Amino acid sequence: MSAISLSIHVMKERLTAGRMMVIWPLLAMFILFSSWGLSDPKANLPASIVIDSAYDVMFVSTAFIIFSATMGAVLISFDGVSRDRLSGVLEIKLSQPIKRSVFARALLIGHWAAIFLPVMLLNLVSLAIIWHRLDELPSMEELFIHTLGTALLLFWYTTIQLLASSWAKDLGSSIAIGLGIWMIFTLLWLVLTTVVAGLSGVGVDDLNSSEYVRIDAIMDLFSPNGVYHHLLEMPLDDVDRGMSPAYISLAAILWSIIPAHLFAKRIERLQP
Amino acid sequence: METLLSLSDVSWRHKVRDFSTWKPWAQRDGAGIYSIDLEIKSGTIIGLIGPNGAGKSTLMRAICGLYDCEGFDKSCEERRTQIGYMPEQVRWEGRTSVRHALESIAMMREDEVDIENIIQTVGLSSKSEEILDNLSQGMRQRLSLACALIGNPKMLVMDEPLNGLDPLAQRAFSNLLKNLAKKGVAIVVSSHQVTDLESLVDNVALLHRGQLLIHGTLEEVRNNLNLEEDSGIVEMICAVTGIDPEDITLELSDDGILPLKKIGGEEE
Repeated sequence: MSAISLSIHVMKERLTAGRMMVIWPLLAMFILFSSWGLSDPKANLPASIVIDSAYDVMFVSTAFIIFSATMGAVLISFDGVSRDRLSGVLEIKLSQPIKRSVFARALLIGHWAAIFLPVMLLNLVSLAIIWHRLDELPSMEELFIHTLGTALLLFWYTTIQLLASSWAKDLGSSIAIGLGIWMIFTLLWLVLTTVVAGLSGVGVDDLNSSEYVRIDAIMDLFSPNGVYHHLLEMPLDDVDRGMSPAYISLAAILWSIIPAHLFAKRIERLQP
Repeated sequence: METLLSLSDVSWRHKVRDFSTWKPWAQRDGAGIYSIDLEIKSGTIIGLIGPNGAGKSTLMRAICGLYDCEGFDKSCEERRTQIGYMPEQVRWEGRTSVRHALESIAMMREDEVDIENIIQTVGLSSKSEEILDNLSQGMRQRLSLACALIGNPKMLVMDEPLNGLDPLAQRAFSNLLKNLAKKGVAIVVSSHQVTDLESLVDNVALLHRGQLLIHGTLEEVRNNLNLEEDSGIVEMICAVTGIDPEDITLELSDDGILPLKKIGGEEE
């Protein structure tokens, strides 16, 4: 009885769930179409975005990964605990001799793998598209950072959503919490950053000013999407927001440990 | 007969929300079980009886190690290894098959599990590849029973196992439990279908407002409560709760916990 074998079981169950019929096309459209469009040499992009390498395409297309894959993580995990709890199956599972911490780990890995595998598969296809269009591939280092960043981002969202699912007493509350958190980090974080900048006395009329960029970089450490972008910016020579790699790594570690630890503790105390 | 599990002064209170304007997260002690003493011996079938809200399901969950309460002679982990638990009315759903659902539960145990044999025992052979969404309530009950049988448990704890089963399946179910008891498996069962329960159990344990008021064979309980020889479980519940059998209504009794009370003894 190991967390890995149980998580493979959970992953298979999630990958064959009906909702994957919605998630697959969403992911495919966002990830593949963005690489196709962004790798077009004639693409007309907003002023500050310059694409002149394969990694640039991958970097800019992560905006689409943030929208689709993180939403996929929410859709896969929102009932990861609450559905079993409502149906009574959780009572049966918790009455088995498996350690609760192992059960929590299996849930985390299984749900994470169920979204990470499709995203990785589509990322491989998008690499082929980039190669076909630009006749160039990113370096191994760039590929490693992109894969690691994506894996971590999906892990953070999966953990947060499973935590919400273990708190919620019904499916509606679970998805409301998950979507609310997703919206805050994906859509509203810019507003929050602007408010913090304004309160700190930094002018928000010029979003390219060094003071605003500094505040933006600091605020990004408190958001999974922001840490993801910090990680992806590491191989880029022309992007420097003045954030030390040590802080970025520390933020990534804390985002990985704290929600996962909270989830494990929650499962250990959970009463069906 | 070997004692498989001893309960001594086992208590558990559910936490219920205690809404207030200033502390919306506040909780208070709700219903539960209080100071339960019980010995469960191998090969016996104990029927847990009592009105709604008496604490039967709570006691069963505590026995199965779902609540972290003290008073057992075995740890939670030991109990979970040795006990097969069948909760009340599990709503199995999803696009996975019966076999897959059983495999996922079996993976949570250390021992090798013969899934095929269990599927056959509960009569689900023809439905083993059926997806859970397509199962009837009776089939779902059988699947829950199959989960309880995983790992050859020394004790089975079953909450309302006869719900949703047709009369033939109920009889088959009772026979299965009797056969398991003959092989030395201890069984704790609660059911509101009192006629079936009376013919099935060796002992009854009567709970009311969280307390185990009386425990023994049907005969012993009748004698203790000064009941007629032909009186059944309904009369026992009425005798303990003070309800007149001629005047039974649907009104629920207070589900708070009684002050410590033993039949034939003084209130403490």
